[in-house]
Amino acid sequence: MANVLLVDDDAGFLAATSDLLGLLGHSVSTAASVEAARQAVEDKEFDRVFLDLMLPDGSGLQVLDSLASDHKKQTKVTIITGHPSVKNLVKSLYGPRVNYLIKPISLDQLRVLLDDKSGVAEVAQDVSGVHKHLGFLIGESQVMKNLYSMITRVSKTSANVMLLGESGVGKEVVANAIHHASLANGEFVATNCGAFSRELITSELFGHEKGAFTGAVARKSGVFEQAENGTLFLDEITEMPIDLQPNLLRVLETNKFTSLGATKSVDINCRVISATNRSELQLMSEGCLREDLYFRLAVFPITVPSLRERREDIPLMAKHFLGELNDEHGTTFNIVDEEIEKLKGYDWPGNVRELRHTIHRAFIMTDTESPSLIFTKLGSPFKNNVQQKGVLRAGRTIEDVERELIEVTLDQYDGDKKMAASILGISLKTLYNRINDYEEK
Amino acid sequence: MEELNKIIHDLRNPLNNISINAELAKLLVEQGGEKQRIIAAIEQIMLQCVSCSSGIDDLKSYIKNKS
Repeated sequence: MANVLLVDDDAGFLAATSDLLGLLGHSVSTAASVEAARQAVEDKEFDRVFLDLMLPDGSGLQVLDSLASDHKKQTKVTIITGHPSVKNLVKSLYGPRVNYLIKPISLDQLRVLLDDKSGVAEVAQDVSGVHKHLGFLIGESQVMKNLYSMITRVSKTSANVMLLGESGVGKEVVANAIHHASLANGEFVATNCGAFSRELITSELFGHEKGAFTGAVARKSGVFEQAENGTLFLDEITEMPIDLQPNLLRVLETNKFTSLGATKSVDINCRVISATNRSELQLMSEGCLREDLYFRLAVFPITVPSLRERREDIPLMAKHFLGELNDEHGTTFNIVDEEIEKLKGYDWPGNVRELRHTIHRAFIMTDTESPSLIFTKLGSPFKNNVQQKGVLRAGRTIEDVERELIEVTLDQYDGDKKMAASILGISLKTLYNRINDYEEK
Repeated sequence: MEELNKIIHDLRNPLNNISINAELAKLLVEQGGEKQRIIAAIEQIMLQCVSCSSGIDDLKSYIKNKS
């Protein structure tokens, strides 16, 4: 747990935050002035300092100077401010070991910062004011609220979790949120089962001793060992070869593993979160995951909703992604309501990942003379492939295909003709003409 | 504009106090903490609400003077 210094002249905030962090097991010191803070950093080494800028005897930035010496450079600093504009100043002057939080702050934000092992945790609120639930997740829709509730519940247990959901929905982000909400002492270790070579998968998972096989010149720890007292995230679990899955099953059943070349087994103590983009039905029908392993991994299965199931969150996410880009490039680009409606009308087969890249692409095409993002072409080549397989075949007339496309689009948008016309790239008048033609036939 | 920024900044302080005391009260309830500590956190929230209310009055006066 961390050694923390709180610097603020608001006695009520200081006392409550001190109690709060104390309850979470951190060691907390407090200071209400620049002078007291300087004395505190002189006397003791801190892992993190939370710093208010407006203090009775000067600015919090003066305390930063005291932390500039070499032996204090391990100390990370979070500035707590009421002014979002301070962020740019902080970034340009002090680099990555100093970040900021905008008042009012929450426990989730403090947890993320204090649990962060790398020291470069993203703050749980961005400059555009988008709140990240549980420190990581964005969205106020009902499906996301249900997800937060499930994460909170399962984080209080040590149950293994299986995350199901389409590609790009953010399964690793959800896994990270579970890890941080669980207050585990160990690391969050993410690994992709599809990226292992067949020969090395056992070594990657369980590690090997020096000399265990040709080329094993030193001892190597596996991901299970690295995630001790923490969380092991196994992405694309179904990519693990089926004949190697019994090794993983045995470890999960016995809670022990033996690294390659070792003579003794070692106890494991970590939560395993696995993820797949296949549905439960596909898991069953395609036989890519052993049934017994499924039940071990999916003690608590969670389906992460696709973006089209929570279209109401699209404006918030777009604002967040644009805020990040604006911040990175020092721009003030925006998205007008009409363009947001375009984003909401699209299906997002690539989910949040596709939305992020779409905004990035439009951002690159925007300049300061016309600072609004324009989304000219929404679409994924992968989606077209899927559609072509299902809908298009030789032997049909263009008229037939056009009629079907119009009907499918109208269905998709619950008969909203204005939206359908916009998506189809035709005028509303043309759409009405077509519909009248079909009715006459 | 500077005055308005100051009023907004001053409003964030009690909000921050409310937020952190609410988090504390919640955690204390979850962990079965002392009743007195929970009540103290709630009293702090109530006190800061009064401060917020005064900040809103300042904001109202500012808008009135400007219009």
